Amino acid sequence: MGFTRREALKSLGAGAVGVAATSLVSIQAVAAEPESKVAPKHAVGLLYDTTRCVGCQSCVAACNEVNNLEGDLRADRIHHSAQDLNSFAKNIIKLYRPAGGTGYSFVKQQCMHCVDPACVAGCSFKALTKNPETGVVGWASSKCMGCRYCEITCPYHIPKFQWEGWNPKIVKCELCKERLAEGKEPACSTVCPAKAVIFGTREQLLAEAKRRISETPGKYFENRVFGETDGGGTQALYLSHVPFEKIGLPNLGNESVPDKYLKWQKRLYSYLAVPVVAYATMVAVIRKNWDDHQEHMNEEQKRTGLRPQL
Amino acid sequence: MTKNDERLPSEKPTIGEHLKRAGFSRRDFMSLCSMLMVTAPVGLALTDQTSVTKIASQIAKTKRPSVIWLHFQDCTGCTETLLRTSKPDVADLILNMISLDYHETLMAACGSQAEASLKQAMQENEGKYILVCEGSIPVKDGGQYLKLGGKNGIDLLKEVASKAAAVISMGSCASWGGVPSADPNPTGATGVDQIIKDKPVVNIPGCPPNPYNLLGVVLEYATFKKLPALDEHNRPLFAYGRLIHDHCPRRAHFDAGRFVKEFSDDGHRQGWCLYKMGCKGPQTHAACSTNHFNEVPDCWPIGAGTPCVGCTEKAIAFRVPIFQLAEIHGATPPETFPGINARIGSVGAAAAGLAGLVAGAIGGAAWVGSHKLPGAAEANDDSKANSTKAGGE
Amino acid sequence: MIGFWERNVPVFDVPLRSRALYVLTGLFLLGFGLVTYRELAGLGPVSGMNDAYAWGIWKTFNVMTLTGLGSGGFAVGIAAYLFGRKRLHAVMRTALLTSFLAYISGMTLLGVDVGRPWNMYLVLMPWRWNYHSPLLEVAVCMPLYAMFPLFLENIPPVLEWLHEFRPNFRPLIDKATKVMAKFYPLVVGLAYLLPAMHQSSLGALMLLAGERVHPLWQTPFLPLLYVWAAAFMGFSCVAGTLLFCAIMWKRPMDLDILQELGRITCYVITAWLVFRFADLLVNGKLPLAFQFNQYSILFWIEMGILTTAAITLYDSAKLKNARMMFHAHIITAIGGMMYRFDPTTLAFKPKDGAFYFPTAMEILVALGFVSFAIAVFIVAAKKLAILPAPISYWHDYEREVLSLTPEPQLSASGQALAAAQD
Repeated sequence: MGFTRREALKSLGAGAVGVAATSLVSIQAVAAEPESKVAPKHAVGLLYDTTRCVGCQSCVAACNEVNNLEGDLRADRIHHSAQDLNSFAKNIIKLYRPAGGTGYSFVKQQCMHCVDPACVAGCSFKALTKNPETGVVGWASSKCMGCRYCEITCPYHIPKFQWEGWNPKIVKCELCKERLAEGKEPACSTVCPAKAVIFGTREQLLAEAKRRISETPGKYFENRVFGETDGGGTQALYLSHVPFEKIGLPNLGNESVPDKYLKWQKRLYSYLAVPVVAYATMVAVIRKNWDDHQEHMNEEQKRTGLRPQL
Repeated sequence: MTKNDERLPSEKPTIGEHLKRAGFSRRDFMSLCSMLMVTAPVGLALTDQTSVTKIASQIAKTKRPSVIWLHFQDCTGCTETLLRTSKPDVADLILNMISLDYHETLMAACGSQAEASLKQAMQENEGKYILVCEGSIPVKDGGQYLKLGGKNGIDLLKEVASKAAAVISMGSCASWGGVPSADPNPTGATGVDQIIKDKPVVNIPGCPPNPYNLLGVVLEYATFKKLPALDEHNRPLFAYGRLIHDHCPRRAHFDAGRFVKEFSDDGHRQGWCLYKMGCKGPQTHAACSTNHFNEVPDCWPIGAGTPCVGCTEKAIAFRVPIFQLAEIHGATPPETFPGINARIGSVGAAAAGLAGLVAGAIGGAAWVGSHKLPGAAEANDDSKANSTKAGGE
Repeated sequence: MIGFWERNVPVFDVPLRSRALYVLTGLFLLGFGLVTYRELAGLGPVSGMNDAYAWGIWKTFNVMTLTGLGSGGFAVGIAAYLFGRKRLHAVMRTALLTSFLAYISGMTLLGVDVGRPWNMYLVLMPWRWNYHSPLLEVAVCMPLYAMFPLFLENIPPVLEWLHEFRPNFRPLIDKATKVMAKFYPLVVGLAYLLPAMHQSSLGALMLLAGERVHPLWQTPFLPLLYVWAAAFMGFSCVAGTLLFCAIMWKRPMDLDILQELGRITCYVITAWLVFRFADLLVNGKLPLAFQFNQYSILFWIEMGILTTAAITLYDSAKLKNARMMFHAHIITAIGGMMYRFDPTTLAFKPKDGAFYFPTAMEILVALGFVSFAIAVFIVAAKKLAILPAPISYWHDYEREVLSLTPEPQLSASGQALAAAQD
């Protein structure tokens, strides 16, 4: 009578073997999938060159105008003076000023439109999606529940949340996708007087970046363009004369965030195979224990006359 | 006031010939034409021409257009502005480029002679003259607050406008009512375009406007028989297509946050931005910032150190208090830049206190509670108490 | 104060209304009032959350940490139904109720925390799901768990109450009970599968934060460590609750069961600690623990607390010392909560210059929701048969409460007593 510890362990052991077997199968299935995402064929993006930017902030004014943003007027109610990207600013120019005094750099920050975005991977209801043709990462208000997971996952700290008001949105650069649909360029690259930020297909921009690097070796940091493979690749590319970390571009390695961190989650849950097998095993064990428990309760009832408590 | 020549209309001299006869040097004429180019960065077909010479030759070939000028509820400032040109003496020049056939302030005639003059001007140039209106028209109580020669303003306007080729409202009063229309507007002062609906009416608001605004419209019409591009308020884009704020010489001070706080303070003496003194530049469409008055540099309100009052805008002038701050649409970034990592987040005193309180309360409760539990020594004593066992397991 | 736990009996000998209940009710009304303000004004005015720390204590504490404490049903259930520890059936109802209340309060607060809750209906539409997202797994699995298996497991005391006090329902309840008994293993299986999935997914949430979680915490085994922590936190919450209720309502304690609970908890924590250290060692991260900075100090505090917990649990179990057990379980709960909370906030560094501390209003709302759970627990424990007690308590209950109802259903001994009194 009763399910001894040995028997319990035996059943669980059998179950564990089943789970392991299923895991191996699903891992094989996953291994057969393409390893990492690549940029869409017609992916478009921006190339920003710190050596050309003069800090005029025309791109900031143009971005506000085109996106109907009134600007971050909290400081003096007159000037748009955002201190960082936030719910009033989709684009910003920051200044890196080293302690020594020389070697400063402007940096333009906006959504990187990653090839395999962490925000898209984490978004439960696909409010953030990557356009399959242009690769632009866009946000849809009808699907967003405002959980701010995108803010937690983005390695570049781009999506921002509207903290005031009852109808908050996620605010970030969407490469002026309405303008793209009309065949125009995004506002920032259109107005830049120094051509510090330019627009084009990712292929074109990478080629241009590499051309600049090869023509002026030593000018650009590490003689490479940031975003070619960083974090799995981005569509907003950066050429910088100072270390990338100084202008806020983190060192991410060549794997995208979802690839690097969600591998095992994907494998364990693929086809829900592991959970189903685990469930079946547990139910089998529980049933035996339950029948046992019921027997015991019936005996108790006979003895005491007390109605059993389920 | 020069009368028309006793020649047939078809034989009227061109502007070039007229100027020559009047003894104006080609140099003066050329500098007038270059003024037109400066005035009109956008919109004047005249200035599609790429050089001053070409403009000059175009204008020179044109016949002087006939202009009839009517005054209503005005202060005559718009006429004065037309005459306030000095280097060169362009007042005369203007009067030689247009044929001002009726103008109550400037003509010699008066009384019935003046009325006859008007009738004649209307007859001879029927369908071809340009009607320029200065001053608003009172419409309340049947329009009785303005009577000229027994006729009220509304009727007079309608009559003269009926035979005009185009109507120009010179000044804010004629454009939308101006000063007379300020609260409570006892006479019901309105702009010309509220009364004349069957003809194109060009508004040239301002109090007063720059005379080149008028000149550009008239010359365009005379040369190409068409009016320049207009905005939604029928104002020529070449003069009103841009905010003062977007082309203000003091804009750099605005962007850097250098504001005048009081008249005559240090900032004022250094020509800082007048936004905080109520300058309506950010809301006002006009060309004053580039085309100053009287051809004297900085001869315009902001240049003289007073805030723009938005005299061209119906919603602003004589309605919004002069010292009230203007709304900025499309705020632009300041001169300063944020660093790479901004400081964000802080702890409030109340919150810290509350957190401490909660932690303390829970900790205290747990401590007190735990001491009600039996420790090691008591456990053995109690093990025999309350231990009724109903059955084995 | 010592006795065997043989049957679940309501705390009938204490008045329903008490000072504690008034305080708790006041706190949760205040919390709910502030929630109204949050809905109208947005999250910014009410909380200290900002773009760098986008998740505040409502998510990171009430949901990610307190549901770990509320894993009693999961933990005790697995011990009882998978490993056959029959003795623990006596405390199942307590465990299940604490779980249910922790989940309900946590998930309601989650609904308050999200910025656009009107789109949460999408959780019911599988074709709108992003299957790779750990947050989706949590959003689907937690409500499913709370509203289906956990809810069903918490129904029996309510059905019993109805059976005792509403005689009209008796035939219906008898039938329902029979049906439930038939499908119970399937329900219970889900009650272990689903929490295993979502408690580990709560850990997976922080995986995607990548480098922003300090390497001493960030590991591919984060989901495993989270669900494992939920297991020992669940035990400690149940045992702590039982001990605290014994103090508050002067109920006898079954030291054997408490000893078993303590021992199991100790083994689970010890294995967890070993795994954690092994993971750090194998991945070469252990040297980071010896750099003198806020993170290493935090790490050692965490590990210190949990080691102390394991030792105290072991000793208290061996000595059957109730007071020591209580301390041990509190320390375990604190250590476990720290572990679950740290990767989200204290060991989470989005970028330089960023800081987060909850505002007073935020704390009050969190407190309000916790108070709600505790208040409901108190009322339930007094009205329903949740807390375990010796049989004599049941007989007292029969005599003082049940026999006074119309058509009482009494046990054999109860009937005998009633007959004797007549």
